Amino acid sequence: MQTKENTNRHIARRKFLRTCGGIVAGGVIVSLSGVLLKKTVSHDLQTFWQIDPAKCVWCGRCETECVLPVSAVKCMHANKVCGYCDLCGGYYRPNVKDLNTAAENLMCPTGAILRKFVEEPYFEYTIDEELCTGCAKCAKGCNSFGNGSLYMQVNQDLCTNCNECSIEKVCPSGAITRVAQANAYDFKDN
Amino acid sequence: MKKTAGLIPCLLASMAGFAQNRFPKPDFESGYQYPQYVYDVPSEMLWTTVDIFALAVLMGVVAWASLRRRTRLPITIVSIISIAYFGFFRKGCICSIGSVQNVAVALTDSSYAISIPILIFFVLPLVFALLFGRVFCAGVCPFGALQELVNVRNFRIPTALSKVLGMLPWIYLVLALLFAITHSAFIICRFDPFVGIFRLGGTVSMIVFGAILLILAIFTGRPFCRFLCPYGAILSLFSRVAVWNVKIVKKQCINCDLCRHACYVDAIRPPYNNKVKESRSAGVRRILLYLILLPLIMTIAALTLRTGSDLLAGVHKRVQLHEKYHLEGEQAIEVETFIGQGGKIEELTAETAEIQRQFKQYSTVAGALIGLVIGITLINLSLKRSRKNYEIDDANCVSCGRCFAYCPQNNKSSENTQSTK
Repeated sequence: MQTKENTNRHIARRKFLRTCGGIVAGGVIVSLSGVLLKKTVSHDLQTFWQIDPAKCVWCGRCETECVLPVSAVKCMHANKVCGYCDLCGGYYRPNVKDLNTAAENLMCPTGAILRKFVEEPYFEYTIDEELCTGCAKCAKGCNSFGNGSLYMQVNQDLCTNCNECSIEKVCPSGAITRVAQANAYDFKDN
Repeated sequence: MKKTAGLIPCLLASMAGFAQNRFPKPDFESGYQYPQYVYDVPSEMLWTTVDIFALAVLMGVVAWASLRRRTRLPITIVSIISIAYFGFFRKGCICSIGSVQNVAVALTDSSYAISIPILIFFVLPLVFALLFGRVFCAGVCPFGALQELVNVRNFRIPTALSKVLGMLPWIYLVLALLFAITHSAFIICRFDPFVGIFRLGGTVSMIVFGAILLILAIFTGRPFCRFLCPYGAILSLFSRVAVWNVKIVKKQCINCDLCRHACYVDAIRPPYNNKVKESRSAGVRRILLYLILLPLIMTIAALTLRTGSDLLAGVHKRVQLHEKYHLEGEQAIEVETFIGQGGKIEELTAETAEIQRQFKQYSTVAGALIGLVIGITLINLSLKRSRKNYEIDDANCVSCGRCFAYCPQNNKSSENTQSTK
């Protein structure tokens, strides 16, 4: 009889403790969400990773560090900045002997830069994003010798928007930051 | 190539005004039109709404299946849906496990704004855990679902080992919070084992780690959930005091031990008769003694982690930059860009010292918390409570619903029960 009463008391105590715990836990949830709600971004549901072209140093890590099999970082071309040169620093390697489109003369390792004759002496360059791996070799060449119209951007359609961008962690210039929806792209020709 | 290499340093030095107009804009005579590129910013509105909706509905289904219907099939279906949608389609981001870090940063850094979906992904499973137990873990979390579906055997891990490993999620959580609030890294995201599978690619270490865990998951229940998942650790606290919890039988238990064998996360405790007779006052005194010893363990752990704080601070990007400067000098591309952007080495050194000081403080607290985890685990081991029946350990139960089908009392139809009575 004594022991039975004891166990009953134990069970009652355990139940009471459990209820108290539940109330505390509920309070924690309510107060935590209250505090956090004040800190939300009201206008944007989501932010995006993007490269600031003014800071980018074309180190080539975007190609290798992205978690995707083929990086979400692509080269983009600002035609309104481009000089339409025949001898393009982004298209040809620096010290080529013959200016022809043989692969050994071209900067892009995947042949993603398309060149089209417009009129003497201008050539139009476009990027085939399907082929681009984001190695930034062309952007480096263009920025070194030309107008800097080739530049790197995160393609938001491909980016999985990781909580922690693995490229950002190794970016030497701090060019990758989280930006608001309105600045999801940082175009050079705007 | 050599020419480029020679030119780059000069360019880096004059980053701000990097030459935009070496060549003038061409005057086209042929009426050439500039090509128009359209890059749409994907509207996250739709998918984020679907995410949140799916999260709530799937958790609701699991709660209904585990508490009302008491059957496993809906939970398996939820698992498949979750792997397909949250895993392969949404590529595992955003997830509740990682959201812990965003919340930690938002709470400590006034300039950090947390986005609403992340907040909901953090809070909603907690709310459900407080109401219905760990229904999120059951199959809504793609990681849990993946391990759930590959499991075929249930080799039991020795209790001693599982108790030791059971401390890991807490230690992982404490370290994740430490690195998050110091703005060093999101280690939960970085060492995410299964996201590589969902993205069909990733770093070698990620794939190897994920594969090892998945192979282990075939032979024992949910190694990641039990011994690593930091969010599961938080959920277990809420599940412990949940309003409604999984019950195996509504009728009289016949102590057949089948449910314990079915449970693959060791969440069912068998009846236990504590033979050690200890008077209540002696027991209370013993616990009090342990509680006095607890700060001692915490202090030791805190001091241990404090001595290693410089090592931990090495994860911070600025500290790494500083190290790079001392190892490779100005040749390193990071240092070169830092100076190119107008950074001063003295400022960097000061900043590094500040970060290391901050790490010293935080890692002391983190060490104390780890000591607390170890201490509480030890005290828990000394508490031996007699049980007459099979009891579900609400903290560890992941609501997977395996036990229901094994219980012979559950399977009997009501008429049979009447007749046996």
